[in-house]
Amino acid sequence: MRFSRWTLLWLALGIAIIAGVMIGTMRLSLADLVHGVIGVGEPMPIAVVRTLRLPRVLLAALVGAGLGAAGAALQGATRNRLAEPYLLGISGGAAVGAVLATALHTPIALVPVAGFVGALVAVALTLLVARASGGRGDARVVLMAGVVVGAFANSVIMVALANADASAVRGALWWMMGSVAEASWTQVRVLAIFVAIGIGALIAFGRAIDVLALGDDTAAGLGIDVARVTLGVYVVGALLAAGTVSAAGLVGFVGLLVPHLVRLAGARTHRAIIGAAALAGASLVVCADLIARVAMPPAELPLGAVTALIGVPFFLALLRRLA
Amino acid sequence: MFFIRRKERLSSRLHRANRIRLVAVCSLVIASACAREAAPKQSAITDDFGDTLVIGASPKRIVTLIPTTTEILYAIGAGPRVVGRTMYDVSPKEVLAVQDVGNGMRPNVEAILSTHPDLVVLYASTENRDAAHRLRASGVATAAYRTDHISDMARVTRVFGRLIGDTAAAERTVDSALATVDRVRKQTATLPHPKVFWPLWESPLLSVGGGSFLDELLVIAGAQNIFSELPQPSPQVTFEELLHRDPDLILTGEVTRARLLLDPRWRTLRAVQADRILVVDSTIMKGPSARIGASAVLLARLLHPGVKF
Repeated sequence: MRFSRWTLLWLALGIAIIAGVMIGTMRLSLADLVHGVIGVGEPMPIAVVRTLRLPRVLLAALVGAGLGAAGAALQGATRNRLAEPYLLGISGGAAVGAVLATALHTPIALVPVAGFVGALVAVALTLLVARASGGRGDARVVLMAGVVVGAFANSVIMVALANADASAVRGALWWMMGSVAEASWTQVRVLAIFVAIGIGALIAFGRAIDVLALGDDTAAGLGIDVARVTLGVYVVGALLAAGTVSAAGLVGFVGLLVPHLVRLAGARTHRAIIGAAALAGASLVVCADLIARVAMPPAELPLGAVTALIGVPFFLALLRRLA
Repeated sequence: MFFIRRKERLSSRLHRANRIRLVAVCSLVIASACAREAAPKQSAITDDFGDTLVIGASPKRIVTLIPTTTEILYAIGAGPRVVGRTMYDVSPKEVLAVQDVGNGMRPNVEAILSTHPDLVVLYASTENRDAAHRLRASGVATAAYRTDHISDMARVTRVFGRLIGDTAAAERTVDSALATVDRVRKQTATLPHPKVFWPLWESPLLSVGGGSFLDELLVIAGAQNIFSELPQPSPQVTFEELLHRDPDLILTGEVTRARLLLDPRWRTLRAVQADRILVVDSTIMKGPSARIGASAVLLARLLHPGVKF
């Protein structure tokens, strides 16, 4: 990718973040934003910027970056353009964890933790199922195992919600549709470390993923341990997605859509694709969260619903181009 | 091909004929319903599903699928007739000994039938229409009501009174509850009405809305719900909107209060900074039951601690 395109990606993210902090129920000026960030002036704009908007916008950006990068790496490693991080059973597992926690009336703060644990269990289960069927490094087998684990998870959710009261069901559904409304600085810090390490690791796999595209035999001939690289990308991608899930619930379509967009924009090597997908994913989720906040006041739309609403027409247009 | 088209046309013509017939039948039904309203008969009542309740056959075995109606039945002395309740019923204490038939919404019809009821009381929402239909088909009378507002309490209590044949007890219950409510309303009329936020759920943030009896109860107890203009009973709201509306007081449970006081996001609210978070007894939130008067007093005491109610 050319230098100007990278500049454009960073610029888009910068504008999205500034717009995300400025626009909301209380419209803030650029001066309010600056005052809020440096912490001088009226207490109310400072509180809005520092406690409500900045953590929220940054968390959205991190979630988008993680999902975009994980999606790009998984699509590359599986050589399947429909692969996305949630397909490895993560969405189902995370939802089971969160829904069980909600149904059992655990403190709200523990719901994301339960979601994270659920996602990890599901990923482990997916890899075990794939291994038991003899296809450890086989992309198709792993994806199918993920689908099976996801279906199982769905049934567990339905059982758990069968007798739950209305508010608990609404809470669980809300969580499953994703949201960064309750973002805190602690979440931002933890996820930042998580996403930085994850994206770094995926970019390190970039060269190997490029070689995998030549076919397993050729890649093996060039000295690449195909099974190890595939497994490595799965595990890192899954951890990354699970981290985002614990912070914001399930934000669909980003991991699927964004890699296509950046390839279409001209990214060729996987280092570039993964990096660009992280940036574009971040911008997309920040914009989606902004829409979620201002579209239907005083209610808020679920973030995952907005990303899907934006993503589906995009994806249809893309399909037409591919066909 | 031609035949198929013709057949389609024929069938669409048939459909049209059916539709016209349906419209005719519907208008007849509506007309007769209007006529009924114009001249109410003493022996029949229609419930909120439009089903007819027969007066005279006093029910002996009642399954109640709304905690509010359970309390009302006990309040008018029909407690011994209750043979089934929902899993959420906890009040009055005696009801815990009654058979639990599970969820009140989309109820388990077989579990209900196993208690051999002659009347089933359910909440009149679309989710329960099918259950009501099945129960009626099995020969069990049903009474479906929306118990959302304080006026519903009076309405439903009076219907129950007529059904069980003790209208005096029903009137006593309604009068006593409404008299207390009126007394509290009069007492708080001259007091300042603080702006109150009453969250029902934290994630997503759900508020008490204008469609809830809790909104009415707040006005009676001398407060002003900041989301009162929203028509739903529990609308979802954004945190920023909450910050913007800047409540004087927050009503919540004990555990939530402790957490809100420590949460940096919630601490942006003036009410949280000044620890103006009142712990409200969750039993008053269950529904507009016969205890609505007591609930009004409880809430008024909480909101106006210096005043004697």
